[in-house]
Amino acid sequence: MTQKYSDFMRWTSRVVILSMLVTGLPLQSAFAGMVETDQAVANDLAGQDRARINAFIDREDVLAQLQNQGVTAGEAKARVNALTDDEAHNIAGKLDQLPAGGEVLSVLLTVFIVLLVTDILGFTKVFPFTKSIKR
Amino acid sequence: MLIRDVRLLAGVFLLCLGACANTPQTRSLLDSSPGDLPRHTELTEVPYFAQEAFQCGPASLAMSLNAAGIEVTPETLKPELYLPDRHGSLQVEMLAATRRHGATAYQLAPELNDMLREIAAGTPVIVLQNLALSWYPVWHYAVVVGYDLDRAEIILRSGLERRQILPMTTFEYTWARSNCWAMVALPPGKIPETAEETSFIAAVSALEKISDPERVQSTYLAALNRWPGNLSAQIGVGNTAYRLNNLAQAEAAFRQAAQDHPDSVAAFNNLAQILSDQTRYEEAMEAARRAVSLGGPLLQTAQETLADIESRMKR
Repeated sequence: MTQKYSDFMRWTSRVVILSMLVTGLPLQSAFAGMVETDQAVANDLAGQDRARINAFIDREDVLAQLQNQGVTAGEAKARVNALTDDEAHNIAGKLDQLPAGGEVLSVLLTVFIVLLVTDILGFTKVFPFTKSIKR
Repeated sequence: MLIRDVRLLAGVFLLCLGACANTPQTRSLLDSSPGDLPRHTELTEVPYFAQEAFQCGPASLAMSLNAAGIEVTPETLKPELYLPDRHGSLQVEMLAATRRHGATAYQLAPELNDMLREIAAGTPVIVLQNLALSWYPVWHYAVVVGYDLDRAEIILRSGLERRQILPMTTFEYTWARSNCWAMVALPPGKIPETAEETSFIAAVSALEKISDPERVQSTYLAALNRWPGNLSAQIGVGNTAYRLNNLAQAEAAFRQAAQDHPDSVAAFNNLAQILSDQTRYEEAMEAARRAVSLGGPLLQTAQETLADIESRMKR
């Protein structure tokens, strides 16, 4: 998919989401009439509608990015569903820059020497075979 | 090439002087350790899953969830957590995946002291470390299962090591590079020792969105025990009771909330809805009018509830 095309798709889906929000049709929850607990928790909701629209855009963004990072469509949906609005907002647009814990080790020789020294000094702990001189 | 190497090494040296100059949390903890914290603790019963390539996220979370009594393997967690192209897992997804298995996900304050308190209370703590350097990050999740203040050591289940012992200072260096990110996965009804009221209730309400209301309710009830009269927890008890179709319990919860917090739109609105569902329209109307008169960001919901009761009465 070209960048242009995916941008086009992203904006199209945003427009669709916004129009759905405005008409309010697909958003009827099974919990009609009740204030949800998380709504009661977030008391600073200046304009619930705007917050809701932003949340939808964030989620849609994260969904697309998860798939770009190699997650299957179905699983990406379930993963986005498990995020809170705040969490989705915090990672939207930067899935490729955030720390991803995985312990990837493909070290250049220079860096290897540096890390070996810092390991021994106890500033880092990259290699399983090092023992820090620190106490 | 040589010049580049020299420059790099010089840079590292300067960086180390600057960034590695101290471990303030370790120092303050060892200098004046709080009297009520045991000198050493080790949660030996926390299970161990060896990490496959890049899978420290699923492995760490599996250890934590199993310790919380939720049986799950790293293989199950992998599709819920792992980002193939990044060869790793994101922090928020560690929290989200915890919730998918019915546990409360709570991010601790970035304090070594808080982390040790949780371990002393029997809860292993998942941490994000940068094992290398800020400009050459090697991000890694591990589970802290113990500590020894006298030996100044932290004990972890980490990667391929079932029992890794790190000097507390080294641990702090690696942990501080993630801004001291730490989380716990808790079974229903359990509250972290160091939980902060508002953030903990928010963590429970996040779980309520996707989990079994019965389990979540027990956590709200425990929260009310610790923080009596907390509005959000009261609303949470009411909402989970409503989901479980226990209208009497829901009504009692919302009445209590409305009594303790006479300016809560949520309490009056939800009470009105419950009463209306029981065709007690007069009482429902009274509560709904009160909710509307309070106004605020939830005004629209309150107005809709009121209109709904009016139209039901006409039927």
